[in-house]
Amino acid sequence: MLVSNKMKLVEEILSTFTREELFWLNGYIAGKFHSTSQTETAIPVKPSVNKITITYGTETGNSKKLASEFAAKAKTRGINAKIISLDQYRLNDLPKEEYLLSIISTQGDGEPPAAAKKFYDHIHKNDSKLNKLKYGVLALGDTSYPLFCKAGEDVDQQLNKLGGERLMPLRKCDVDYESEAHAWFGQVLHQLSSIANSNNTDIFAPAVTKKSTGKKIYNGTILSNTNLNDRGSNKETHHIEIAADDIEYLPGDSLGVIPENPVTAVEAILQLLDIDRTKTFSFRNEEVTAFGLLKKKLNIFYLPERVVTKYAGLINQDIPPTKIGLFDLLRIYPLPNNNQFEQLIDILEPIAPRLYSISSSPEAHNGEVHITVAKDRFTVQEEQKCGLCSDYLTTLPEETNIEFYVHKNSLFRLPADDKDIIMIGPGTGIAPFRSFLAHRDATGASGRNWLLFGDQHFVTDFLYQTELQNWKETGTLTKINLAFSRDQQEKVYVQHKMLQHGQELYEWLSNGASIYVCGSKEPMSTDVEDTLLQIVEKFGNKTIEEAVQFVEQLKEDGRYLKDVY
Amino acid sequence: MAENNQPLSSTERIKMASDGLRGTFVESLANEITGSINEDDYALVRFHGMYVQDDRDRRDERAAKKLERLYSFMIRLRLTGGVISPEQYITLHNIAGENSTGTLKITTRQTIQLHGVLKSKVKPTLKAFNQAGLTTLATCGDVNRNVLCSSHPIQSPCHTEIYDYAREIAARMLPKTNAYYEIWLNGEKLIDKELEADPLYQNRYMPRKFKVGIAIPPNNDIDVLGNDLALIAIIENDKLKGFNIAVGGGMSATHGNSDHYARLASVLGFVSGKENVLKAVYEVATIQRDYGNRSDRKVARLKYTVDRLGLPFWKEELERRCGFEMEAPRPYRFESRKDFYGWEQNHEGLWYYTLYIENGRILDDEKLSLKSALLEVAKTGKAAFTFTCNQNLILGNIQQPDKAIIQEILDRYKIIEHTDNASALRKNAMACVALNTCPLALAEAQRYMPVLLDKIEPLLIKHGLETDEIIMRMTGCPNGCSRPYAAEIGLVGSALGKYNLHIGGDRIGERLNKLYKESLNEEEILTMLDYLFGTYKSERTDGETFGDFAFEKWVHSTDLIRTASSFSEINMPKPYHIALNEDPAIRL
Ligand code: SRM
Ligand SMILES: Cc1cc2nc3c(=O)[nH]c(=O)nc-3n(C[C@H](O)[C@H](O)[C@H](O)COP(=O)(O)OP(=O)(O)OC[C@H]3O[C@@H](n4cnc5c(N)ncnc54)[C@H](O)[C@@H]3O)c2cc1C
Ligand SMILES: Cc1cc2nc3c(=O)[nH]c(=O)nc-3n(C[C@H](O)[C@H](O)[C@H](O)COP(=O)(O)O)c2cc1C
Ligand code: SF4
Repeated sequence: MLVSNKMKLVEEILSTFTREELFWLNGYIAGKFHSTSQTETAIPVKPSVNKITITYGTETGNSKKLASEFAAKAKTRGINAKIISLDQYRLNDLPKEEYLLSIISTQGDGEPPAAAKKFYDHIHKNDSKLNKLKYGVLALGDTSYPLFCKAGEDVDQQLNKLGGERLMPLRKCDVDYESEAHAWFGQVLHQLSSIANSNNTDIFAPAVTKKSTGKKIYNGTILSNTNLNDRGSNKETHHIEIAADDIEYLPGDSLGVIPENPVTAVEAILQLLDIDRTKTFSFRNEEVTAFGLLKKKLNIFYLPERVVTKYAGLINQDIPPTKIGLFDLLRIYPLPNNNQFEQLIDILEPIAPRLYSISSSPEAHNGEVHITVAKDRFTVQEEQKCGLCSDYLTTLPEETNIEFYVHKNSLFRLPADDKDIIMIGPGTGIAPFRSFLAHRDATGASGRNWLLFGDQHFVTDFLYQTELQNWKETGTLTKINLAFSRDQQEKVYVQHKMLQHGQELYEWLSNGASIYVCGSKEPMSTDVEDTLLQIVEKFGNKTIEEAVQFVEQLKEDGRYLKDVY
Repeated sequence: MAENNQPLSSTERIKMASDGLRGTFVESLANEITGSINEDDYALVRFHGMYVQDDRDRRDERAAKKLERLYSFMIRLRLTGGVISPEQYITLHNIAGENSTGTLKITTRQTIQLHGVLKSKVKPTLKAFNQAGLTTLATCGDVNRNVLCSSHPIQSPCHTEIYDYAREIAARMLPKTNAYYEIWLNGEKLIDKELEADPLYQNRYMPRKFKVGIAIPPNNDIDVLGNDLALIAIIENDKLKGFNIAVGGGMSATHGNSDHYARLASVLGFVSGKENVLKAVYEVATIQRDYGNRSDRKVARLKYTVDRLGLPFWKEELERRCGFEMEAPRPYRFESRKDFYGWEQNHEGLWYYTLYIENGRILDDEKLSLKSALLEVAKTGKAAFTFTCNQNLILGNIQQPDKAIIQEILDRYKIIEHTDNASALRKNAMACVALNTCPLALAEAQRYMPVLLDKIEPLLIKHGLETDEIIMRMTGCPNGCSRPYAAEIGLVGSALGKYNLHIGGDRIGERLNKLYKESLNEEEILTMLDYLFGTYKSERTDGETFGDFAFEKWVHSTDLIRTASSFSEINMPKPYHIALNEDPAIRL
């Protein structure tokens, strides 16, 4: 129908369009059609939806990154997108909300990110009707965790329960989320415009999501594995150096490791079930031997209650829903017959990855990555036990190979070279700060660096002491304060040292310094935050409200950053 | 510039710049990231009675853990004449338990050292000492060290009177600085520095450590001639007449360097009258202060100043400064150099129990609960404590009725059994601290000596010498902290597991030994001793000690490089002082 050269022209133009742009163009042309049929003058249609809210709940910055990319793209379509982190979101606005997008990741064991907790709980408790609401949820997650994108699923369902109408079905993304997420947003934009321009929304079926390629798995070799604590310490904290030439990471990133189960435990189960260790089974479209499954794939320790419940169903018996190891479970409540192993596999969960803050810097430790692992010791009925992954890592001999991935944390990054930083990292919390210091030392960054470290005893638990002394010597480390809790009668922790040097700390902050906190979430990070407020109140002579405001501002400016666990 | 127009040693400069020994301690103590102190404070902390050390056994392992060396302080008490009250002993016992390794180490200068005190525990420790009336001030450093005094009251009715001299000397030669109180005891800062003006030490202190000892013949238990300044009490029919004053004693030598040598003090003359004696002591110090070498610390001790300027100069200069002349030395006679183990009773009928403490280490171990026993004794408050220069302890001033109480405790803890069962050799042996705390140690000493003795004892039995009170001493380096050159058998560490064998010293500390064989390992030591003992047993004349025999037989003729022996020979003709006018030290 078109004259061939026109056709050529169109094709040329179209070839320069991205998929999203094509979605839009389609809507545009439809609109043009529509309008020309009314008036002769052709004015391009602005989609009537010109205001949307994009919320995000993030731990390590991926969701935030997407949110701002989406907002930018929306603007080019004349849509004014307000982006806001879920912890900043005013919950009373929800009922008034018309177009809401939520990008939310899943943390912990299927939990929402700390910053989304308030919102998450609100929509679960509250039953206010959200009749106006048209929404879409993009869930970020990682298929290697048992509960893939759980937080996103919950939010999507809950909003629906409260009367919200899905603008777009829930989309769950694995760690390689970029293209998929953008495709999803393209469709959202398409929807928004078609809402305005035609009710026929399904001209384009949602792009079929390609199979996830998963995350980049590195293969490294253990160079050294040293316990940093001296004899007589209650702690066992290993400095582990891994060689991996092709590794790419930035200070602030973490290493993801999927631990292997100890052979003894595996053998015990194989024996109990009397299964041929070499017999293969399919697990997540992969053929694996029984031994391989139990050693590398399935979580057999401390099964969550949900699994225990499923097992109870499988063997239809009442089992109190408590956490328990697979061996004990099978011993106390045996499988009726061992050929039910397949079904057992189906209800068991994969071994969840564990993260370890990287304590090296690509600038200072080329071709290597270092982590700082505390052996997680605990007692169960007088029996000393160790955490699976920390035990696995701290007992890895030199020369062994180990698989891992890099978990990026774009929220926990060094500021500009000339900016000061205050690092609060007791215990293994020092890990990323060793990376920061090594990095700033290697790059000759001019910003001042202040470290607050703490542990139990000066003599046995001063992690990286000699390195820190050298950095102090050379000036890389401007100031360092230490809190050794058990070297005197009264307990002394990092927050006490913060307060002691409160005046100076406030001066640094007023000077534009960023403050970083890493280590245990409870009680450390909360105590530190309370102390920070006190300091701002006292030395900034502010009211408590002003202090809170000050700290909130720090957070918003990305100058108060936490990597706590 | 020093007297010899050589540039001053760095230590001299540090001392003078130290603002009365204050240095940068405030900063050093505030520095959280290290258990050590600023470099310059190393030299100064000694004046306060402490050394910063590290556990040498742990260096490599800690380095691998990215931990600094295991630094700690060694703290040395000032106990004139080795005397400490039971109450003070209890304090000491408790502090040692709380803040140090727990072991109380009796030193060869009859005081106590605590090891392994962490920086954070130093102030609390010194505060507690202070409250108990104890101090560590000037027990190390270039000052007058702990003043020695014969520790066996039983030996003489004049003991108390003489001990009083020791206390006076210690008091008068204490540095005047207020720094100790300011830094360690949170005392007021001294504004008017005139108040701590120090006529003796000025702002430069002594060129080197300065050691004073008082012996009460006939026992030379304190090895008096090993001191820079030796006072030998002259007692005639139970009355103290005065003292022979001798100068230039010192043990330290350096392997393969004949410019550094051990030397016994040379007698200058006799002084009587308390004020005169104290004056003479004081002026010996001022002469050394003014003439001692301040550019090379290796030759800064008084012994080298004596040899450089000669005895005549010293006699004249001393008399000039004192404003009176010294008399010719009076005759005296040393017969022994030991502790009298077991029970003894003095002229007043008071009882004394001397117990054997291996290498002076008071602790509880699987073999013996010595530490607990002594605490119990102290708690009775019925016995005075006196440490000896042989690293032992005398429980004294025990009233007749209380004797049984002490006896019972000592029996119950098997202390008496332990003392009685120790061999003659063991009872007269000493070893210095050496590894793992001494930074200068080349070889083991106190940790190894007991094991070696286990292997030597059979040799003595084999040759029927098990009752001979042969004096054997071991050090981990040539500095001579257990006075090995003044022993009949001296083992001086040259490298891990290697020792130089010195023989030929006499039993009373008037003649030093000589190097006989170099760097022997254990096996070689044992073979050598087996041969020496055998020969001695078969060839000795009546009553001839091993030391005297060995000297004549093996080392007498060894060419006289300027070893200490040469001095002791001219100084103290053998066997004893028969004719004093033959003593060149007096033919000035
Ligand atoms: C504890 C003690 C040995 C013992 O097992 O009892 C000792 C231990 C040390 N002596 Fe000594 N000396 C000890 C009596 C001696 C003696 C014996 C005496 O004074 O009768 C001597 C030989 C006599 C003399 O002074 O000539 C002695 C000559 C030295 C020397 C060599 C001095 C010299 O003139 O060159 C040094 C090294 C130095 O000062 O540079 C030294 C240095 C040391 C140091 C402090 C090592 C150091 O400088 O860092 C040793 C500490 C080891 C430790 O970990 O405790 N010590 N030292 C004695 C403590 C005495 C006291 O209470 O004050
Ligand atoms: C972002 C991030 C960074 C991190 N950085 C570091 C770091 O730098 N260094 C570091 O050491 N850690 C770090 N961690 C923590 C680390 O990821 C692991 O959580 C930690 O090592 C414990 O894992 P595990 O497998 O050893 O213990 P797990 O086996 O997972 O056990 C964890 C806890 O579960 C309970 N438990 C497990 N089994 C049983 C049982 N049988 N009975 C009863 N209770 C049981 C215990 O309370 C135990 O403490 C980080 C975590 C995060 C999220
Ligand atoms: C400690 C931790 C626990 C996690 N747990 C889960 C989980 O249970 N389920 C899941 O799908 N993803 C889980 N993830 C993966 C994250 O959701 C994924 O990395 C996501 O990209 C992070 O996005 P964010 O940077 O916006 O927080 C976890 C990540 C971390 C660091
Ligand atoms: S003799 Fe040497 S090794 Fe022994 S304590 Fe003295 S300095 Fe140390």
